[in-house]
Amino acid sequence: MFGQHVKHELTAYAHGELSAPESSRVAAHLKACERCRREFAEITHAIRLAASLTLRSAPANLWDNIEAALAQASSEQQQTERAPQKTTTQEKTSRRATQEKTSRRSQPSGWQVGRLSDWFSGWRPALAASLILLVMLCAGGAWFYLRSTRTTWEVARLAGAPLIDAARITSTGRLGIGEWLETDANSRAQIKVANIGQVEVDPGTRIRLVETRLTEHRLELARGRMHATIYAPPRLFFVDTPSAVAADLGCAYTLEVDDGGRGLLHVTSGWVAFETHERESIVPAGASCITEPGAGPGTPFFADASQIFLDALSKFDFAGGGADSLRAILAEARQRDTLTLWHLLARVEGDERARVYERLAALAPPPAGVTRAGVLQLDDKMLANWKTDMEPTWLTESMPDMRRVWRKLWSDSSAPRLLKRAKDQLK
Amino acid sequence: MELRAVIDERPRADTRVVESCQQGDREAFRLLFETHKDKVYSIALYFFGGDEALAGDITQQVFLKLFTRISQFRHQSEFTTWLYRLTTNTCIDEQRKRRRFSPLPDTLAATGGAHNNSGAGVPAAEARFMRREMADSVRDAILTLKPKLRIAILLKYFEELSYEEIAAVLNCSKGTVASRLNRGHRILAQRLGHLRAGVLSGD
Repeated sequence: MFGQHVKHELTAYAHGELSAPESSRVAAHLKACERCRREFAEITHAIRLAASLTLRSAPANLWDNIEAALAQASSEQQQTERAPQKTTTQEKTSRRATQEKTSRRSQPSGWQVGRLSDWFSGWRPALAASLILLVMLCAGGAWFYLRSTRTTWEVARLAGAPLIDAARITSTGRLGIGEWLETDANSRAQIKVANIGQVEVDPGTRIRLVETRLTEHRLELARGRMHATIYAPPRLFFVDTPSAVAADLGCAYTLEVDDGGRGLLHVTSGWVAFETHERESIVPAGASCITEPGAGPGTPFFADASQIFLDALSKFDFAGGGADSLRAILAEARQRDTLTLWHLLARVEGDERARVYERLAALAPPPAGVTRAGVLQLDDKMLANWKTDMEPTWLTESMPDMRRVWRKLWSDSSAPRLLKRAKDQLK
Repeated sequence: MELRAVIDERPRADTRVVESCQQGDREAFRLLFETHKDKVYSIALYFFGGDEALAGDITQQVFLKLFTRISQFRHQSEFTTWLYRLTTNTCIDEQRKRRRFSPLPDTLAATGGAHNNSGAGVPAAEARFMRREMADSVRDAILTLKPKLRIAILLKYFEELSYEEIAAVLNCSKGTVASRLNRGHRILAQRLGHLRAGVLSGD
């Protein structure tokens, strides 16, 4: 009575999920089969470990963020309700059913998630009619107010005469979806980004509001320079440039785009992901990253690196520098430049990756659990652990005022010269 | 306060709170959030290998989706099934998004012996340190599982869901759940073999 091995049923057996006859069969087999018993010991070992995981408390501030976002969503919903509604019969029936359940309840407070008609179900017609009239008047007013406030962002003039869709704004204006804000050589403006932060727009800039909704706020920077300060969860605010997207990970940063579509990102606080569909650069506070059309975001760097390092990196990223450039980068790298080397691991292959690993390991020995073989195979967990281990050396050193540096850089748009000028300014 | 008293009678209480939410009752929203937030957060936290910021972000996304779609919930299924389906989908969508943007390939097989050097080499560390090490190892091992196996394990241990309930959340058969959990546990056992002594002595 040995029967078939039961290794596929062992977890369900341990969890008590088998029927009585199945469970008896597994139990009998385990008594007789040493191999399945060993297997079962393994499974119970895993079960005990997995069951030892403890529940973790969510951060305390989550509710505030959700509440703010919901309040905004509710406003947007009220606005859309003003538009003609196409309601299916099924929805109407279902809504009526809900009305029956809710009609005796007290009037809700807070967000208005249901539809207005729900609140009046069961009321006497005359009273309902007058209330509907009142609500329509209020809703009309609310619609007018919301239309002017919620899907547009407030723009404040800081200097000169900024334009919104070619119309000059006086002290304040509103930027709607699809509209361009333009500043000439003497103008500056500040945009309030929904309820999550602000963007300061420098002279000579052309910027458009692409999208603003609950889960995404997006600008397009066609040319010029902007300084963003965002207080929101990661990946809620994005800026499109011609060759990469800057995704906010909770931070402050400056982004500029020249007439050729090249972009320069400098992060002053937190982190920004500079990305395309093929490539992502994670840029911490104090670091910079250049992007070029056709190439996408280059490798992040600290502009106080050596001139040779910066020149070689520029060649490597945008001019097909190859092995020679890589050699110079590795030779010149300081401990802080491990930011650059860490990104390079995934951007080179074979022997070159091994050389990057060796140099990186010499500058920042990998922590326990991060192995050479794993890193060379781009094990994402090991790379993440190593990065976490190195981050303190990237973030602690103070940086000079890069905004001042950039004002000087703006006249020169080529990446290698940008790097050179950045370096000169730091001396 | 009234609502607080009934929340423990789930799922019936969940139904009442959801109905209040559907009427726009702010307190009910808060209550629903407070009741389920830690479980949603913990699933996201372990799904993404302990990334607290991302887990917070996922939790926020889940509840925003939940609250903005609450009027669509028809009580034809358990509220928790709906909630954890949202959680699962949000985690898996985020995982896909990250893979699409990340230049780093998924190298599951390569991590098999990753912890062989770290845990076993520590001879007589304090019990708390050992437990912490163990928890980190388990978390890391869970991260190496394919997302479908990973989420099944997290639903099992954080939600204490039955196979049938997990099947409802994942929209698959009970047999598929059993198979995924069995595969998941076998992989965990392989990767966490070095913790065998720790577990035994820890008990």
